[in-house]
Amino acid sequence: MWEILDTDESVRVRTVAVAVVLLVIASVVQVSVVARLDLPGGRFDLVLVLLASVALIEGPLVGAISGFVAGLVADLASTHVLGQSALVMCLIGYAVGLVMDAAEQSVAVPLVVIGGAGALGTLGYGAITSLLGEAAMTGGEAVGRALAAGLYAMLATPFVFPLLSRGARRLAGDRRLAGDRRRGGR
Amino acid sequence: MGRGTGRSRLVIVALLILAFTLITLDYRTGRSATGARGVVHSALGGVEDGLTAVVRPVGRALSSLAHPNRYHDRADRLAEENAKLRRQLADDGEITRTGKELADLRLLADKGQYSLVPAKVIAIGDVSGTDWTVTINAGKADGVAADKTVVNSDGLVGTVATVTAHTAVVRLACDPNSRIGARLERTQLLGAVAGGQGPSSLVFTLYDASYRVQKGDRLTTFGSLDYVAGVPIGEVTKVTDVGGLSRTAEVKPYVSVGSLDLVGVVVARPSTDPGDRLLPPRPAPAASAAPTTPPPTTPPSSAPSPAVSAGGTASPGGTVSPGGAALPGGGASTGAIGSPRAAVSPNAPVAAGAVGAG
Repeated sequence: MWEILDTDESVRVRTVAVAVVLLVIASVVQVSVVARLDLPGGRFDLVLVLLASVALIEGPLVGAISGFVAGLVADLASTHVLGQSALVMCLIGYAVGLVMDAAEQSVAVPLVVIGGAGALGTLGYGAITSLLGEAAMTGGEAVGRALAAGLYAMLATPFVFPLLSRGARRLAGDRRLAGDRRRGGR
Repeated sequence: MGRGTGRSRLVIVALLILAFTLITLDYRTGRSATGARGVVHSALGGVEDGLTAVVRPVGRALSSLAHPNRYHDRADRLAEENAKLRRQLADDGEITRTGKELADLRLLADKGQYSLVPAKVIAIGDVSGTDWTVTINAGKADGVAADKTVVNSDGLVGTVATVTAHTAVVRLACDPNSRIGARLERTQLLGAVAGGQGPSSLVFTLYDASYRVQKGDRLTTFGSLDYVAGVPIGEVTKVTDVGGLSRTAEVKPYVSVGSLDLVGVVVARPSTDPGDRLLPPRPAPAASAAPTTPPPTTPPSSAPSPAVSAGGTASPGGTVSPGGAALPGGGASTGAIGSPRAAVSPNAPVAAGAVGAG
């Protein structure tokens, strides 16, 4: 797996590592800070918003891998069946990454895509728990909560997405700088 | 990125297969990977505890940040002082609130003669938002063990699911996997309370189909080896019974999940069943506690006590209705109900006398 990453650009591993650390921190913040807010209608899913932003900036490969790893850590930290958030977050990361080229065309694209990712991810969590026979809500409730999650995700996008893309550019800048230096040294 | 698509497709297929394998393994074998889970739980639990401790004061500090920290002139100094006082006030408010919650919890523990370990909620749910659990900052080191009952001042919160050295995960009563033995107020009739209907509704199943559950009936825990008896659960809001071998009803729990903060883990059981005395007093007309519950003790000892409590409630209108409320119960079942009915009828004149006197 690593050579798949290495062949393209050797620094990919670092991008994935940064994304995973970010998502794990976000999942701690999610349960002990965001969950306390008790928002009306549903919940704001910070982890899905960050994951969708990362995937939109870095593409499907980084999105899928970091989503899978962060989801696995979140699964280990919970009491539900192992692998269910890993599955959902992996799929969301991949799907959002597929439209990364469209993100540069318009400001509305990240807004819609990240909002959609919030809604789809929440639906996905609901679907997989009901598949495993542990459903905590009815279908109608699940759809309502998914819509609310999508709305909150959309509201958070203007703050999160520019911040992350600036961070990503800086990371890429370091990378280019380091590459130049290496080439210059040789 | 064009040449990357083939590779990324390969990677995602591999990851999906891995995810499905994990789900299947974990689902089939029950709780696997407990070692890894324990490590992650205790590591993240510590972080969550710290984060909660940090975040609370930050909210208060932010409100005082609006006032600049300069001492150049008198106005600024006064503003600074003002901000400090405001912060102190906010602190005092928080301390008073926590103190009140602790006192309420203490009162409940005294009434039921439980031994409690108080704890704070440090995380709610999980990342996917599908788990009805909370994490609290008490663990094995404080005497908490798996399956212990968790309460707050309103009643039953849930049971301990997993425990690490300094944190524990509590499965709330409204979790779809939660089933808790329950008992109808004033009777010894058994049933079970299950979750799965969202945070503000539970499903009560009464095993005895001959008894009619009524709207307004209240439930306490039945108690077993791990669960303590007598913890208030909630009140029946709707009877959904459809003529099977058992009766079902919707129950509104006393505890609201959204505002959980201070909870107590019951680490030791009382030597005797506390019966119904932990239930909050009924509001005026359906007045309270009169038909106390004393499970089958001797009639002479139970007879005076209702009269005393009826006199104590000081709501004359109320003393009559409990007798009426107890009757349907008496009519329906056998054995256990017999004695309350016997206790009620000799009481009626006494209660009436008390009303006349009052």
